[in-house]
Amino acid sequence: MEKNHYTDIRRFILINMILVPSIPFLIVIGIGYHQLSRSIESSTIASMERIVGDHRHMISSFLDERKNDLELIVNTVRFDELIRPERLSSVFTQLQLTSSAFSDLGIFDENGVHVAYHGPFNLTGKIYREEPWFQETIKNGVYISDVFLGFRNFPHFIIAVAGMGNDRPWIIRATVDSQRFTTLVRQVRIGKTGEAYLLNSQGVLQTNRRSGGELMEKPLDTIPTPPKGDDIHTLIHSREGEETFLYAGAWLKDQQWLLVVRQEKSDAFHALYDSWLPVGLISLIGGACIVWAAFTLTSAIVRKMEKTDTEKALLSQQLIGASRLAELGEMAAGFAHEINNPLQVINTELSLIRVLKDEMVEAGHLQKGESYEEIVDSMDQIKIQIDRCSKITRAILKFGRQEDGHFESLALDKIVPEIIDMVQKKAEINGIRIERRLPDTTIRVQADSARLQQVFLNLLNNAMDAIIEKSGSTGGSIRVSVRDGSNGMAAVNVSDSGAGIAPENMAKIFSPFFTTKPVGKGTGLGLSVCHGIIEQMGGKMVVSSKVGVGTKFTVELPAAQLKI
Amino acid sequence: MEKLKLMIVDDEERFLTTTEKLLKKMGVDVVTASSGGEALEKLRAHTVHVVILDVKMPGMDGVATLKQIKRQFPMIEVIMLTGHGTLESAVEGLKTGAVDYLTKPADLDQILEKANDAFSRRKSIEERIRVARMRGLMKSPREILKNT
Repeated sequence: MEKNHYTDIRRFILINMILVPSIPFLIVIGIGYHQLSRSIESSTIASMERIVGDHRHMISSFLDERKNDLELIVNTVRFDELIRPERLSSVFTQLQLTSSAFSDLGIFDENGVHVAYHGPFNLTGKIYREEPWFQETIKNGVYISDVFLGFRNFPHFIIAVAGMGNDRPWIIRATVDSQRFTTLVRQVRIGKTGEAYLLNSQGVLQTNRRSGGELMEKPLDTIPTPPKGDDIHTLIHSREGEETFLYAGAWLKDQQWLLVVRQEKSDAFHALYDSWLPVGLISLIGGACIVWAAFTLTSAIVRKMEKTDTEKALLSQQLIGASRLAELGEMAAGFAHEINNPLQVINTELSLIRVLKDEMVEAGHLQKGESYEEIVDSMDQIKIQIDRCSKITRAILKFGRQEDGHFESLALDKIVPEIIDMVQKKAEINGIRIERRLPDTTIRVQADSARLQQVFLNLLNNAMDAIIEKSGSTGGSIRVSVRDGSNGMAAVNVSDSGAGIAPENMAKIFSPFFTTKPVGKGTGLGLSVCHGIIEQMGGKMVVSSKVGVGTKFTVELPAAQLKI
Repeated sequence: MEKLKLMIVDDEERFLTTTEKLLKKMGVDVVTASSGGEALEKLRAHTVHVVILDVKMPGMDGVATLKQIKRQFPMIEVIMLTGHGTLESAVEGLKTGAVDYLTKPADLDQILEKANDAFSRRKSIEERIRVARMRGLMKSPREILKNT
């Protein structure tokens, strides 16, 4: 029950001491980690958006410049001039000076006839009227195709611009090597897996992709097409059984091409994943610290509590014991007092009987004889019993009266021999030797001299009785020693070679009314009174005994402080 | 020679009657009272030299009675009779003016012995007072006239 009580307290304190600091600790760790991941995510996404934005701008500029090159030709050179091969050749040379990306140049009339061409192939005379790009150019005035390999077998696209000559439309068309911006796009490299590529509106690759996916192919990881517009869109997308990627995409070339930058999510957020280790380590160490502190403090608290409780229990036990003894003493005193009054009456009555008896004898009413002797003996017995009662009540009253006393500084090495002298004669008669072991220095105690005398007389008388009980008149020895004890206590030992105390009586030795002496010989209050006196003086009285060997009483008294 | 006149004060009636009987047999003049009040009353009517006074009595207790006796009749010697086998009450009595104390149960011989001691003490004091007065008288007889 008691043990359970402490286990409950221990559990309660432990749980609280672990939980209470853990909650703010976990909240701080959680908020910190959340903020960290937010900031890493947003900075990663921001950098991807910047890359997409920059590259879109570059590619758009490249396309615009090439378109402008052709528009410049259309606006500055007349149709009939251009169809002259040498003029076309010089214009192409001029064009290649501005950008080496141009690989050929062709002129078409309004019917789609390839009227002039400068380039590595002989295409002059071919009719393109039905070609979609031709119709598109006539309609819109400008056309930029998707990238294709064609029979040239390298990635290229065409730019066509329509012009007006003699009220008839004509078209100038140039083939542009797309390697330029392919390189530009492929140069994008973020972390380990970050890459960029171009898709057309059908999702077909317009550039090679570093991680796989050839030009003109549709990549396997088709991503949801972002809504058209100038905004940059980001999304996280994963295909079954593959890494999750972080995508950023932006439309360019009049919403026909989609520039995509993608990076494996684990790579993009590797800073975040890297921070797992320190965060985890901090949590682990912090948690361990909390648990360790909780356990240490809890055991300390519970230990302290147990100690306090034990002390409290002991104290209350002592208090109960002391108050019980005081109550008992008070009751005994009152009881003794009440007995004394009837005793006084009996005593007086006995005296009267005696007087009357003597008168009757004198008057001759009473004959001396056997009956007379018996009456006299009986009356003597009454007197003896009255004295016995009186002795008991006197002892009880002494027991009940333990509250006062006159304390003074006494030299033990002086007072003890004086007390021994008082019993010396009785000891000699019984053949008992009293051995004295006194210190060379003076040992002083704070005590009441009359009470102290009562205690030691009692102990010495008991010792002599014990010796007489064991050896009769053959005698024995008593040893009285005075010495400095520990903790500022002075000690007096009274040991005898007497009969000893039976083990079963040891616990009751200081109890009031306990005696092993024959009826009428002892009141059973002597040692109990002595014990009370010594306790009241702040001392201690202990006994050790062995049947047939002897008994040793030790009285410890607080040593008097030396006055300086 | 003046004879000892003794008063015994105790709340035990039987003790009083028996003791009175015994003392009378011994030829001692005895007056008894069973309470402090009665004792004071009887002291006014009778000449008493020594009072044996029980400490513990209902109503006015021994110490209070002693104080009254010593105030009203300073020449009467009081011996305390205590049921406590202890010094305290006796010491208190002695402080208040009792000449001696006895503890219950006390033998009649003891009581008589202490009473006689007290009586002779009283007599010697009275003697000394008488001698002192005589001396004063011889010095100046006028002073006696003044005092009377």
